[in-house]
Amino acid sequence: MEMEKNSFSGGRRYRNDEITVYWKPDACVHASYCYRELIEVFDPGRRPWVDMNGATTERIIEVVNMCPTEALTWKWNDESKNREISADQTNHVIFRRPELLEETEPLGQANPVSVKIMTDGPIIIKGDFTFSYSGNKKEMKQGIISLCRCGASNQMPFCDGTHRKIGFEDK
Amino acid sequence: MEGNDNNNAAIVEVIDNGPVKITGQIVLRDLKKDITVTLTEVNLCRCGRSCNKPYCDDSHRN
Repeated sequence: MEMEKNSFSGGRRYRNDEITVYWKPDACVHASYCYRELIEVFDPGRRPWVDMNGATTERIIEVVNMCPTEALTWKWNDESKNREISADQTNHVIFRRPELLEETEPLGQANPVSVKIMTDGPIIIKGDFTFSYSGNKKEMKQGIISLCRCGASNQMPFCDGTHRKIGFEDK
Repeated sequence: MEGNDNNNAAIVEVIDNGPVKITGQIVLRDLKKDITVTLTEVNLCRCGRSCNKPYCDDSHRN
């Protein structure tokens, strides 16, 4: 299948019947896994440099997952398949660029909220969400909060760095 | 719930004397364990005493 509109904010996209591959040139560190593994699809000397008909979908996914940065990411065109992605699909957009889950899909799917458990530190929550605590309620748009996880903050429920003083450690 | 016109919206609720409960489309990354999971509901420990961190195991009640 020929690609649709070839650009999105920050780069280009390439589609076959099953998946969309996103290319974000700014993020590329020229590790060159893509064209060393699969020149049939990723050929820097060709325009367009990505040919989605050059290999099977499985093989394209495999090679995109080798990209060490977010320069190459992918997602299923069938949105329902993007909800249950195993952690070994390292360059699925849900892990690298969750904002692209919604891209070109005006289906009202909310962006996933990103929850990061920091090493021996707080919970960092990013994205669009309703935040409620101690009777307060806030609508967060592309918001970011840092919540205490050690139980010793003086600014509950927020992290104030006390975990370092008490030597909080994940076990 | 008031103003809930987006039925996919995530909710982060800090439960008094309990965990933080998150519902919605969630991508959770644990940097120390180096794991990433996608979830639709999770209760995360806030007391520092869970034996199943980062998840709540009700240790805060003890």
